[in-house]
Amino acid sequence: MRWIKRPRIAFFSLTSCEGCQLMVLNCEEELRELSTRVDVVNFREATDLKRDDYQVAFIEGSVTREEEAEKLKEIRQRAETIITLGACSTTGGINALKNRFSPEYVTECVYGRNPPNRLLVENIPAMPVEEVIEVDYRIPGCPVSKEEFLGFVKALVLGIPPGLPEYPVCNECKMEGNICVFEKGVACMGPVTRGGCRAVCVSFGSICWGCRGLLDDANTDAHRETLGNHGLGDDEITKRFDLYSSFYIHRKGRCTKTTT
Amino acid sequence: MAGYFVDRRGFRSFVKGLVERYLLYGTTLQEGFPVFKKIETPEELVLSSTPTHLSPKEFLFPPEELLLRFSLEDGRGEPVVDAPEQVLMGLHPCDIHAIGLLDRVFSHGTGDVNYIERRRRTILIGTECLPDEYCFCHSMGTMDAEEGFDLFFHELKRGYLVRVGTERGRRLLERYSKPARADRTHLEEMRTHREKKLESFVRSIYARREELPLVYAGSYEHPVWERIGSRCYGCGSCNHVCPTCYCFDIRDDVTLDLKEAHRYRVWDGCTLEDFAKVAGGHNFRRHRSERLRHRFNRKFRYLADRFDGLFCVGCGRCSRTCLVGINITDVTNELIRDARS
Repeated sequence: MRWIKRPRIAFFSLTSCEGCQLMVLNCEEELRELSTRVDVVNFREATDLKRDDYQVAFIEGSVTREEEAEKLKEIRQRAETIITLGACSTTGGINALKNRFSPEYVTECVYGRNPPNRLLVENIPAMPVEEVIEVDYRIPGCPVSKEEFLGFVKALVLGIPPGLPEYPVCNECKMEGNICVFEKGVACMGPVTRGGCRAVCVSFGSICWGCRGLLDDANTDAHRETLGNHGLGDDEITKRFDLYSSFYIHRKGRCTKTTT
Repeated sequence: MAGYFVDRRGFRSFVKGLVERYLLYGTTLQEGFPVFKKIETPEELVLSSTPTHLSPKEFLFPPEELLLRFSLEDGRGEPVVDAPEQVLMGLHPCDIHAIGLLDRVFSHGTGDVNYIERRRRTILIGTECLPDEYCFCHSMGTMDAEEGFDLFFHELKRGYLVRVGTERGRRLLERYSKPARADRTHLEEMRTHREKKLESFVRSIYARREELPLVYAGSYEHPVWERIGSRCYGCGSCNHVCPTCYCFDIRDDVTLDLKEAHRYRVWDGCTLEDFAKVAGGHNFRRHRSERLRHRFNRKFRYLADRFDGLFCVGCGRCSRTCLVGINITDVTNELIRDARS
């Protein structure tokens, strides 16, 4: 990563709810200071500027259309640094759940048998950005956390390569002082999910759904057994793993890689 | 033993006094589970509980603690020591022993200013406890605490028998309650409680404590490490709930204006993947089995050599928190069995 004192940055959105871009805009306290550290030259949700001279591109959303793959290749040519923003672009996210079905079937489910314009609804199996182009850094999460996004920006302007935690959610969950949800008889994906979120969902009374994706070193066999011991059937266990990580779990199955 | 008796009314006035004067953390129930929490009224306190899921070490050694503020412009820094006057109430004997061990660690060598200052301003009040299905303090010599506390409360039918550990504790008791001298019936009741407690343990270590460092020294290549390593998540939960695990990482954060930086210490754990990772991505303990072996050896061998005392106090929290059922007594007993055969 080349250090650029005041980088020109852009935000792009592929197939997603655009919630991760909203999280960026949610940095209300920090936006003013942020705008003195970086130049935002392309960000549909925030500015009319549509410049192509960006050095760092944040990309949100998964690739589910051929046009998106083409767009990514263009971005890769222009940007020095590509950072995925959120679960969809990092791991394929929940969009990849559709890959279990044929594109024709999912199109019909959403748009009916006779969509008004076939060209607009044509789609391919969902995949993370790194299946199409090389990615430099990844910010996982559904949505991303403000703190983590700002941490990446600070790393950029300081010229320090940003990194992700290699520990599961449980690590921070204990530090937050939470009673383990398994103690309450509820199952959770924390033990195999990449930490860095301060276990925000458990801290606020929910469970970990695994939105930050599986750890590289996740002990998935042990977790299948744990979930089974806590009353989940095989189908339910598969669903828990699939919710955010189905692309990598099933990649050998249906997903075909678009060439870079 | 010099003991006092405090009736229920005296107890309430004692706790009220503490709440008015200090930050009070005590044992209570949250969703039915024993925890340490900030206490506002005497009624919230639940003494005589099974071990809290997290240990009280967080009040002396917080999960995340600011140590230093420094300027990125001129490099000038200012150390931060945040040490509130606080009372920890409801410490079980094992927790009191654990704090004694942390004291040894953090005062070793030059000493850790932040810990020492917090510790100095913290009043420790113990209470008698109930073992859960993971406890084995009776095997570790930590079932009773004779020192290391300011006051120690034994709940009786009509009140509390209070043992005094320090002059500071005595003054506190006398200021906020009207203690009477404990009589023989009170002491008798306390002993009966102790006997019942001793009978209720379901777990034990089947060797004398003195033997454990040697048992572990001879078990470095034992197959148990590979077996439990294949189940382990490497999640660090056992480290964090442990009252004597004290490892930490140092992290720096900068403000967005890049003018000021903050240096934190954050709990770390030897079972986490990047704990022993060094420059270049090399990892001295890449496999979970190696990391678990390291943790167990720290508790029963390495630190015993260094600080003269086993670093397991038998609270069983690590066994309870482990989702894949790695149980510290089972592992240790397996090693003992094979060391003897």
